[in-house]
Formats: sequence, structure tokens, C-alpha cells
Amino acid sequence: MHNFSLSAKSEHGVAVMLPKGYINDMGAVRLEQASEQLLGKGVKKLIVNFADVQFINTIGLSIFTGIVQKTQDHESLLCFTNLKKIHLDVFEMVGLIKHVKIFKDEEDALTFLKGRG
Amino acid sequence: MPFRALHERDFLGRQEELAILSKKALRADTGTAQSAVLVGARGLGKTELFKQLFGFLFWKQDRVAPFYYFVNSALLSASTFSKTYLIQFLCQRLAFEKKEQSLFSCEGMSLAALSMLVEDRNAGWAKEIIDQYEQNSVDPINALRIALAAPHRSALSSGTPVAVLIDEFHRLQNLSVQGTPDPQLVSLFEEPLSFTKAPHIITGNAVEILEMPVASILERIPISPLEFKDAASKILAPLRVNDFRGNAPPLLLRHLGGNPFYLGCIGKTVATKINPEDKDFWNAYLMEILGGGLALLWSSTLKGFFPELGTRKTALAISHKIYHSSEPLSCNRIAASFTLSDDQAETILHKLYLSGIIRGEFGVFRSVEDSVLRDIVDCFYMREILAKPSHDLEQETMARLLPERPGTISFDLTLPMAKEAELVAAQCLDQIGKNLHLSQDVTGQLQIAVIEACINAMEHSRGTEKKIYVSVTADEKRLEVSIESSGQEFIVQETGEPFSDREAAKSTGRGWGIKLMKRFADDLRFEKTPRGIKTVLIKQLDKVVRAKKEDTTKNA
Repeated sequence: MHNFSLSAKSEHGVAVMLPKGYINDMGAVRLEQASEQLLGKGVKKLIVNFADVQFINTIGLSIFTGIVQKTQDHESLLCFTNLKKIHLDVFEMVGLIKHVKIFKDEEDALTFLKGRG
Repeated sequence: MPFRALHERDFLGRQEELAILSKKALRADTGTAQSAVLVGARGLGKTELFKQLFGFLFWKQDRVAPFYYFVNSALLSASTFSKTYLIQFLCQRLAFEKKEQSLFSCEGMSLAALSMLVEDRNAGWAKEIIDQYEQNSVDPINALRIALAAPHRSALSSGTPVAVLIDEFHRLQNLSVQGTPDPQLVSLFEEPLSFTKAPHIITGNAVEILEMPVASILERIPISPLEFKDAASKILAPLRVNDFRGNAPPLLLRHLGGNPFYLGCIGKTVATKINPEDKDFWNAYLMEILGGGLALLWSSTLKGFFPELGTRKTALAISHKIYHSSEPLSCNRIAASFTLSDDQAETILHKLYLSGIIRGEFGVFRSVEDSVLRDIVDCFYMREILAKPSHDLEQETMARLLPERPGTISFDLTLPMAKEAELVAAQCLDQIGKNLHLSQDVTGQLQIAVIEACINAMEHSRGTEKKIYVSVTADEKRLEVSIESSGQEFIVQETGEPFSDREAAKSTGRGWGIKLMKRFADDLRFEKTPRGIKTVLIKQLDKVVRAKKEDTTKNA
């Protein structure tokens, strides 16, 4: 079954990842691989837009913690946007919120990141 | 005592019967006692009544010596039976003299050792009986006659009458000489049963006993089911240790028909819960009739009467037909329905009658008035004949037992243990949420919780049935989602947490599943079921409505 897809774009030195569907182990691994590639290329500003994310399970969440950790290791900035309330609750519960910046939408996140040089 | 009896406080609702039996036994003192048979269905507590009667006669009076004998089906050759009967009688009789409980443990001693003990005690009457037995031991029939008469002979010689209590008496039909069962041997009891100084009170399978020739000289003492109040106390007795103050569902109590064995089994099963709700009692009942003590009682009965599988299945199908027929069925009708000869049908029906599974009168057969037995017959039939999976069996039984309340809707979904199957459950919840006009938040929370429960079920299931059963039930007040899978229990009873979740949490950052479920459901329970384990998520909908109203007030 393929209930997950991932697209990415780059604007003004900011990489935007747009996961879609169900973030389980496979979905999160793809996100992890994509973010590793971007970080490897020297990208310092990352946005994950959750607008089209339907569900996140705890296996996916555990992989997300790895993504956050790697972003911090590369001294990069990670922003989450367009989070549904339920997903925000989930991230809050597992303590991920403390390590990422949350914005209402991509535009707000871009404005913030542009201001960070 | 030669056996373990219930504590007096747990021996409920039988004081009247105990008083009647004690009175009867004590009449031996005046030589006016009459032998009797306790008559009642299986599980009504006849054996326990015997144990209590023995305890009373042994400890609380000095006039009549009690002798309890449990007929063991492995010791039915005439010579073995007569020897164990005699040794046990003499041990218990000597024990009664000075209330020496320690002598009960001597019941396994040899006749020679017992003879020395008897000499030591200067019990001349006992020595005479042993000598007479030994002189006749080459002839098993004579030896049996002497052993059976021993209580009466001791009463005459020692002056102390004896009350003989024989449990599982019907098994004596299989007494044998040199390996050949001889149903006539039991008629050797006719004389001992008429001794007024050594009355016999017997019990066992009442239907079989009443068909034995000795039954005609026995007074019948009916044993009734427990009264409602005593039945309620009986089922709750095992829960006392947990200081449980609730009640068992009245509908279930009525269903169990005051049968102490049924009540005890459910009580023990439900006692694994700390604060059981009505649903837990019903689940315990379901577990019991599908594979617990209740099922075992009747499956072993059926096997005992029908050892051959093919005949057993036919007997089960016939029972099912009788239980679902609106009128009594004749032997001819059964024979025609199952393509059997009249003789075959008659043999099976007679055995079913003797087993207590059906009633028979005036040439026709009907069901026994026992709702539990009816459920068990249905379950056995669905499983053995229709080969229905246990989930269907469970669902159909519950649906029959607990008709849905008006205003309740329910959905059942079976998922394969396949990758992302949990999404199917989550999507269904989305539609159910819309139908119930639930807010997106509430539905979303439940979806996340259900996804986690399904993943848990897949991770922990060790069963062969690679399926997950999701049930959604909703009424005006609450929405309940249960996720059930086969396999071993993965919950630590004390904490309600899965065994391996903590380990998973340490190694991978997992273990958040339970936290998420707890966070997003108003109540989370793990239940052991006949299949395996069930995770139950409950969302209080009236609370949701209140939350909405509070929000509106705040916003205003």
C-alpha cells in the first residue's frame, strides 16, 4: 500500500518538504532520508509542511526524533507548518515541540527564516 | 476432614438443606434413619453439601460417626473397591472417637498396618471386621459384601451409629470382577442401604442413580438452586479480597439460575479484575462458556457419554435441535431428522438423558431448563458442527445475551494483519464520526488512538489467527472502540501496561502508543478475552458536548 508520498522544493535557500498521507515507519524513513540529503548538501533551513498529512503514528514519531536530532547536529533550523491540532498535540506529548519552530503556514516560516540570515 | 470444604461464610444458602440432612443422619442414633439420595442438577453443590455435613457430624456432635466415601472411577474392581472402602471407613471411624484429624492421612495404609493400629487402640469391633474381611478376601464378592456391611456391623458392635455419605454413587454401576463390569454388583448395596443404624446418604448423577435398582428404597431429597440473594453473594465471594462493593448484573444472575458451580466459576474469572463493571461480568461468562470451567464441565460430560467423536457430534447436533425446537421431539422424529435407525437414535437420546443434557418424559425429549447449558450447547454446536470462528461465536452469543439498547449503533470490522490495515479502521471512524456529528478533533483523537491500538495488536499478537477485530459501539453518551486480536496476554495486570512496551520505549523511543491512547481516550482498558486480548477505548460523548458548550461560553 502507498499511503505516503513526499515532494520537496527549495526557495531562497530554504528547503520545504511536503509529506502527504500517513507518516508511519516507511513514510518517516523517507522523510529522514530526504532531510539527510538536504542537510548533507549544506541546507541550513528546513521546513516540513504538514498540510497534507493525514495521520502520524508513534513509529513515525520515533523516526521524527532522529530527524530533529540530525538537524541540530548540522546546526540547522527546522520549522513545522500547517499542523492540525491533533498533530500538534501528538508532537507536544512526545516533547518534540521544544526542539522545532512551529508556524501557522509556510509563509510565516519563510518570513522567520529570511530574518535569520 | 478427608477433603477441603468451603469456609462456613462461603457456604451460602444451604443452611436449611444442611439442617435437614444433619437431622436425618442423627436419626441413626434412635435407629429410625432412612437412606436417601440427593437429587439435583449438576453444579448445584451436592458434593459441597456432603463436605459440610461431614464437617458438622465430625466436629459438632458425638452421637453418630460420619463416613464419607468418594467413588473413584479408577478403583472399581470389586476387590480394590472393597479394600479402600473398608480402610477408609475404619480410619474415619477411629478418627471420630477422639476427633483425630491426623488419622485421615492413614487412609492409604495397608490392611496389615491398619490391623496393628486397631490392636493398638483396643478396637475389638474393628479387629473382628478386618479378620472377617481377610478370611474372605479370596472371594471378591464376599469381600465386597463384608466391606459394605462394615459401618452397620461397627454400629452394632461399638454402639456408635454411622452415617455413610457416598459421593458419585452412579459410578458404582461399573464395579467389576476380573476386569468385567457387572452392573448387578451394585445391588449388593441394597442390604446396607436398609440399615437404620447406618443410614446411607448418596449423591452423584441423579438421573443415573434414579435408574439404578437400589433407587426404589431411597428417600429423595431435592436440592434446589440458590435464592437470588445467595446467588449474588456467591458470585461476589471471590471479589471480597479486593474489597469490591459493587453488584453483579441482575440479568446475568438470573441467567445463571442459582447454580453454585456456575456462580463460582464466573466469580473466580471476574475476580481477576480489580473493580469489575457489568461488562466484565458478561465477559467472564463468555470466557467460561467458550473455554473455561463451565465449558469443561459439559464437554467432559459429553465426552464421558460419547467417547467416539462421530457419535459425539451427532449427539451434539441432536441436542441443538432439541434445544431449538418449540415442541418436545420423539425418538422417531429424531431418527428421521438425522438419518439414524430407531435403535441408534434411542441409544443416543438415552445417553443424552442420562448425562443431564436433555430431559425425557412420556417418550419425548425436551431441553433442560438451564440457560447456561443452552448457551454451551449453542457454542459447542457453532464450533464443532458449523466450524464457526471464535469471533463469530463470541459476537453471536453476546448479541443473544445482551440485546442492544435502543439508540445504540454498532459496527464490526475485521482487519487482516497487513501493513497499514490500521488506516482502514481510522477511515471508518472518520465516517462514523461524521454520522454522529462529532467534531473533527474528537474523531481525530480517536483515530490516532485506534491506529496505535491496532499497531499494538499486530506487534503483540502471537496467535495463529492473523486478524484484528474492531468493534465500534456508540450511543448518545459514549463511543466505545474495541480492538481485539489473538495471542497471549501482553498486559501486566497490576499496571495495565503491556509487558514489552517499556522495553521498546527504552530502545527506540517507542512506547508512546499507550500514552497516546490514554491521552486521547477518556478511558482505556485492556481485557483478557477467550481469543486473546482486547484494547477498549472509550470516549464520553456527553463530556464532549459539555466541552463544546464551555468553549462557547468562554468565547462569548
